[in-house]
Amino acid sequence: MSARAAILARLKSPAPVAAEAVALLGTPERPAVDTSNLLSEFLARLALPSVNASHDVIASLTDLPSAIARYLSAENEPLTLCCPPDPRLDVCDWSAFTLHATAAPDETATLAIARTAIAETGSLIFETSPTAPMLPNFLTLHHIVLLPVAAIAAHLEDAPLPGPQPRAHYWITGVSGTTDIEGTYVRGAHGPRFLHVILLRDEFPHISDH
Amino acid sequence: MSSFTTRADAALADPILKIAVERTAGTAQAKRAIAIDAFPDFEAARTRAAAIKDHVIAHLGPYLEQFEASAIAAGAQVHWAQTADEACRIVIAICKAANAKTVARSKSMLGEEIGLPHALEEAGIGRVETDLAEHIIQLADERPSHIIWPAMHKTSEQVSALFKAKHRTPHQEETIAAMAQSARRELRGAMLGADVGISGANFLIADSGAVCTVTNEGNAELSLVPPRVHIVTAGIEKIVPSMPHAIHMLRMLARSATGAALTQYTTFYTGPKRPGDRDGPEEMHIVLVDNGRTKMREEGLAEMLRCIRCGACMNHCVVFRQIGGHAYGGTYPGPMGAVLTPTLDGLAATRDLAHACTLNGMCQQVCPVKIPLPTLLKGWREKSWREGLEPVSMRAGLGLWAWVATRPALYRLGTAIAIRAIRLLGRKGWIASLPLAGGWTQYRDLPKPAAQTFMNQYKQEQRK
Repeated sequence: MSARAAILARLKSPAPVAAEAVALLGTPERPAVDTSNLLSEFLARLALPSVNASHDVIASLTDLPSAIARYLSAENEPLTLCCPPDPRLDVCDWSAFTLHATAAPDETATLAIARTAIAETGSLIFETSPTAPMLPNFLTLHHIVLLPVAAIAAHLEDAPLPGPQPRAHYWITGVSGTTDIEGTYVRGAHGPRFLHVILLRDEFPHISDH
Repeated sequence: MSSFTTRADAALADPILKIAVERTAGTAQAKRAIAIDAFPDFEAARTRAAAIKDHVIAHLGPYLEQFEASAIAAGAQVHWAQTADEACRIVIAICKAANAKTVARSKSMLGEEIGLPHALEEAGIGRVETDLAEHIIQLADERPSHIIWPAMHKTSEQVSALFKAKHRTPHQEETIAAMAQSARRELRGAMLGADVGISGANFLIADSGAVCTVTNEGNAELSLVPPRVHIVTAGIEKIVPSMPHAIHMLRMLARSATGAALTQYTTFYTGPKRPGDRDGPEEMHIVLVDNGRTKMREEGLAEMLRCIRCGACMNHCVVFRQIGGHAYGGTYPGPMGAVLTPTLDGLAATRDLAHACTLNGMCQQVCPVKIPLPTLLKGWREKSWREGLEPVSMRAGLGLWAWVATRPALYRLGTAIAIRAIRLLGRKGWIASLPLAGGWTQYRDLPKPAAQTFMNQYKQEQRK
């Protein structure tokens, strides 16, 4: 008998009733979020010591390069950026920057576009796709995230996409940190030490609209 | 003297260990308390979490089949292992087929449980532990002493000395931040150069075939995205029906483990790299491991399968806080370890663990899935008694006591004689050494008993 057959033989039971599994969720206990003011709710969580992110607000997508330049200059970093191959960023004037698509092992700054964000926790939500690599977001020292204000949602239940799942669906809630030595918090363990969110007030097309 | 007693004695005599355990577990306890206070109706949330897990455990077979079908549809390969050895053989075979020279491992307690670090070593495959604490443990050639903070037993002074001896460009400044940076420098290249990434799973999502990992360091993603092959080893109890179920459990896990609302990095991996993707592994393998879990379900330990490995029970355990994790001798320490270890390593060798408990109930009170840990520990005590594993002196002593205790007149006579005899040993109200109770009086004095038994005093009062 195969291991599979042997294990399943010991776990015989009627198939679960789907409605029963759904009923278990009921109204889940979760932190309250003021849904009429998602932006300020999100920003409050983003500023918590446990999340430790900074933010900026821009009116239109064409303001993005200058906002990134402002941030990097303040951090005394060069205007070098690992930029995702997303056609929606083509409207920006990147002439002040040295751009590249593949992150170096010691990458300084990476830009990523969050599909949505969660006010409950201050999380930024991403998926992998041909225009959205994952690794640069973890290799970089400064993680710069573009987030359309209209995309902010209330609760973690709003994070996943319906239907078939992308290769990787991931939530980033702050900077890389560790408490592995004496429980003392240190930022920048393996991944980014800085997280900077640039909020976009304008409408931003979904990638599928292209 | 049993090996547990020897280990516990050594742990109690180690003043540095006590400091190290207290620093981390104390912080964890305080941070959890703040997080729970800020969470609405945590009690109802615990009940819901337990109900979700019980539902899954009741229907585990069908859910595993659903998960397998979903994962295969997403392009992953699913393997099944009944034992630890079988799981290791599967992982080694995948590594060999991939011509792997080195693997990057993201901390997984299941990996420790099945002995994967050792199996990789035996197969001649280089292993890079990427979680900071696991990296410390690997350099020190030790075992984890806690399921969330495996290097809890080490002080920063000890970590500093270790890094200075082993890192290529160690820290100069004596700060914990500088030590973490030293590990970052040391590990980054190793992670990017690995042929295979190996992780555990915090949750397996049945309806999508996704595997969820959570870390605060981001080491899981850095270990699992660059290599050509990603191998997941997961216990079969890690299943949840869908994403919303996982979300409820994630809210409980982070708060119970570290006191955070959520871990910094929460990732759901569904199959290997897709056409056009810029990164991700070419192959994804998921090894579903039983290793005693079906037996636990059959033999009265189904509630233990609720465990989501948050570590709250050990952080709040008065025994763990005194002796640390290594004294328990198994993969899992503390209350949850004392329940799991007899299943994994056999009761005969581990019967002491169920006695390393004051039954104060703190573990059950903080458990996010309401596992009745004290009841399960008492279950092991009873089983140990039934199977004749308790020492002869204990059996004889308890047998004699039971015989006397069921004869009230004899019992009263016996206790009246006994307290007179014991009082003869007393000096200034305390007894420093008592025959047959040397284990007690070696470390503390016994108060001198009252001149009369309770029953005698009671009768005298009644006569007045």
